[in-house]
Amino acid sequence: MVQLTLPKGSAPKKGKTWPKPEGKKVKKFKVYRYSPEEGGNPRWDTYFVDMDQCGPMILDVLIYIKNNIDSTLAFRRSCREGVCGSCAMNIGGQNTIACTRGWEEIAGPHITIAPLPHQPVVKDLIPDLTNFYAQHAYVQPFLKTDTPEPEKEWTQTEEERELLDGLYECILCASCSTSCPSYWWNGDKYLGPAALLQAYRWLIDSRDEATGERLDDLEDPFKLYRCHTIMNCAQVCPKGLNPAKAIAKIKHMMVERVA
Amino acid sequence: MAGQGRADSRPLSPHLQIWKWHWTMAGSIFHRVSGLGLYGGAFLIGAWLVALATGPEAYAFVEMIAFSLPGQILLFLWSMAVLYHFANGLRHLIWDGPMIGFNPGVASLWSMFNFAFAIIGAAVIWSLASFY
Repeated sequence: MVQLTLPKGSAPKKGKTWPKPEGKKVKKFKVYRYSPEEGGNPRWDTYFVDMDQCGPMILDVLIYIKNNIDSTLAFRRSCREGVCGSCAMNIGGQNTIACTRGWEEIAGPHITIAPLPHQPVVKDLIPDLTNFYAQHAYVQPFLKTDTPEPEKEWTQTEEERELLDGLYECILCASCSTSCPSYWWNGDKYLGPAALLQAYRWLIDSRDEATGERLDDLEDPFKLYRCHTIMNCAQVCPKGLNPAKAIAKIKHMMVERVA
Repeated sequence: MAGQGRADSRPLSPHLQIWKWHWTMAGSIFHRVSGLGLYGGAFLIGAWLVALATGPEAYAFVEMIAFSLPGQILLFLWSMAVLYHFANGLRHLIWDGPMIGFNPGVASLWSMFNFAFAIIGAAVIWSLASFY
């Protein structure tokens, strides 16, 4: 359901402004804060970071804030090199992973950092992605076969393997799904770009034998067809993948199997 | 129910409030807006045709409205909506058929082109119309 504004109690209020340090290269960061213990509305806290003291990535900035300014700031991170997808968040108005986005890439006098959009917030920059993971599970992202298992392994030609390029690289960071207005309004019924990209990854896998079943599971006015080619998914994907195109290809498969 | 778990007390993270728009996102919502505009415009054509069939007084009345300033602005916006919806509709066909233009950079440029096509196209048509 479309609701353009935030529900009551979700609108962030003006928060605390932390002291500004001396330095030549001081950058201002507005960070979304919410604490379940304190309750109340979320707030925008303002931090100033001397960028001569801090690494080049937004994740470096967050770690710097947590270590040196405000230890109560909560965020997810793990690999710090763009392969785990934990630190996905909204930076400067666009979703990406904090570890591969440099602060100098973002124009403007200050940089806003918020959790992934339109999700329930657990704390600060940590959204609850239960629904997102459930949707991934729904597309059954694993090999399904009827024929008996071969003695060694399921083989594939090089050409068949190439079809999976641009699909298998997904790290499930949820940047794409939570960038999609269709997913914002119908996230409970529309599977969203990430899950559909994975659905397509298994649909075109030459070894998979459940293509018909998989398509049946997607044949629904909402699950697949809420994609209106808004393209936010492909615009934000930190791995440069293109869920919008994968969804178009699933739609083609739907048509082809009827024709 | 809207979205996920509004029953719980956790806040919903900001979305439109913080989003930095892409050209493709603007292009998509204007496709819908212009589509709604065309829907309304179809009634205007209907009114014009009915007036034409009814007689000179009725036609003069509709013409008076159409040539008033608000009427002219509405008609200009409508011609823009026609052109935008046409251009973007073709793009949807190309997306859905041969599946070309999914590269984000290309898609953004294409959206800009569709907006430019609508604005410049409407301006050209109107200047030609006023010329003749």
